[in-house]
Amino acid sequence: MLQINDVHAGYGNLKILRGIDMHVPTGGIVTLLGGNGTGKSTLLKAVSGLIPLMEGKVLFDGVNISNMKPHERVRLGLVQVTQAKEAYPAMTVEENLMLGAYIRRDRTDIVADLERVYEMFPVLRERRKQMSGTLSGGEVQMLVMGRGIMAKPKMLMLDEPSAALAPKVVLEIFANINRIAKTGVTILVVEQNVRMALILAQYGYIIRDGVIMIEGKAEQLISDPAVKESFLGGSVADTSKALTN
Amino acid sequence: MDFDYNSLLAFIIFGITIGVVYGIVALGISLIYSGLDIVHFAHGEMYMFGAFFGLVLVQELSVPYPIALIGAMILTALFGMTVERVFYRRLTRGGGGYTVAGMGMIICGFGMSMTLVNVAYFIWGAEAEPFRANLDYIPRLSFPGDIEVPESYVLTAIISVALMAALHYFLRYTKTGLAVRAVAHNKDIAYLMGINVPLMISLIFGLACGLGAAAGVLIGPMQSVQVEMGYLMLMKAFAAAVVGGFGSLPGAILGGIMVGVFENLGAAYISASHKDIYAFLLLILVLIFKPSGLLGVEAKVKA
Repeated sequence: MLQINDVHAGYGNLKILRGIDMHVPTGGIVTLLGGNGTGKSTLLKAVSGLIPLMEGKVLFDGVNISNMKPHERVRLGLVQVTQAKEAYPAMTVEENLMLGAYIRRDRTDIVADLERVYEMFPVLRERRKQMSGTLSGGEVQMLVMGRGIMAKPKMLMLDEPSAALAPKVVLEIFANINRIAKTGVTILVVEQNVRMALILAQYGYIIRDGVIMIEGKAEQLISDPAVKESFLGGSVADTSKALTN
Repeated sequence: MDFDYNSLLAFIIFGITIGVVYGIVALGISLIYSGLDIVHFAHGEMYMFGAFFGLVLVQELSVPYPIALIGAMILTALFGMTVERVFYRRLTRGGGGYTVAGMGMIICGFGMSMTLVNVAYFIWGAEAEPFRANLDYIPRLSFPGDIEVPESYVLTAIISVALMAALHYFLRYTKTGLAVRAVAHNKDIAYLMGINVPLMISLIFGLACGLGAAAGVLIGPMQSVQVEMGYLMLMKAFAAAVVGGFGSLPGAILGGIMVGVFENLGAAYISASHKDIYAFLLLILVLIFKPSGLLGVEAKVKA
């Protein structure tokens, strides 16, 4: 679904990504792990088109999207779920969700999808007329995820869905990512919460200083001492059972 | 001068009418500021060009006044969009978009202002042209106490309020309006929603210039049309936008009305020959006591 080949990118003269190769298969859940300042967000921006590539190319669904504008990539079905703080605080919950469906013209389907999002996150229905700036951290995370679903994506890229959330809320968010994946949406999760992300995903990449250090099947990475060395581990204990129900 | 309640009321009514016009120009300036993060110093010239377009349509092409108003708005919107695409957008190519282009954009706005005044001078000359519009079908409004409000003032008030209502509806209840608000708040996230951000920027600019043109065509029949009329309007509208809170759309209207009323009262009770000072006096007072403006929010912080 998504193929990243030897991507170099950065800001101005500052190169941050130095040759990234990644592959996200159709229908799979892949995670990209790394600490602060390792190039995770830069990679997401490069794939979304917010910053230009210096070298390399990005293929989505067999199409070379390297030189496409960000909004054109969204129209192809490659949708980024922004960090929670990037909801529009001065818009209502429902306006935020409708903004997610901006690219779509199928009105009846949009209404049906809005209903689906409200079923998945009942708290959003309760708060739909509220300004999203008044929501709690977990609620805003649900909002940006719902906004992503409203775009009817082929693939969702989630930018640190567990950031700054309580462990219990993180669990709920990850269970919902799993539910979204089951509807046939391909998923790339960018995370710092190594353990949770590796339980959720089938395959993982670990980025450091703008290059992929380690990659492999999630169940192998989870017990790999080299991975443990790169991080101090996730904040939640063994939660695999909770995720699968 | 004896205090006369009726004349006070009259000054306030005239102040409000002229104030809503300041308000719609200020609305344009605020719209560009919140959408593009720039202060558009050539906006007075968009108002001036709008007035001239209206004048040409009415007097040389004999177009009825209401249609000339709409025509001038569309022409000026297209003209403004061209100026933005050809000149301003270029400054953002270095990267970072409008937010970073900052100072260069301000200088470019000043330069554009002077250029446009001179272009207008070449086309229409320096003399003030009277704008004779047939407004006989608009009723004169009579208020208690023998206050008569002329047709052009009545028309101005009605059209300004209608324009504000239309803009409010557009921004609040339409899908494109939602996209405009998204672009105004954060362009990167707007991109990630699949919004064609460069197109929306053109739209915002066109809307703002169209509003300026409407003000020009409305003021035309009250005063006259002249190539340097934009300068003072820019200053007044700017004062209105700051008084109301820069970037706030309801603030722009409130600020416009306050500037209009303040100016008329000052001219009536203090000194008529210093009419243009009062707007700035109000501006200074507001800046001293509430620097963010009456309806403004504290400085815009972007992540």
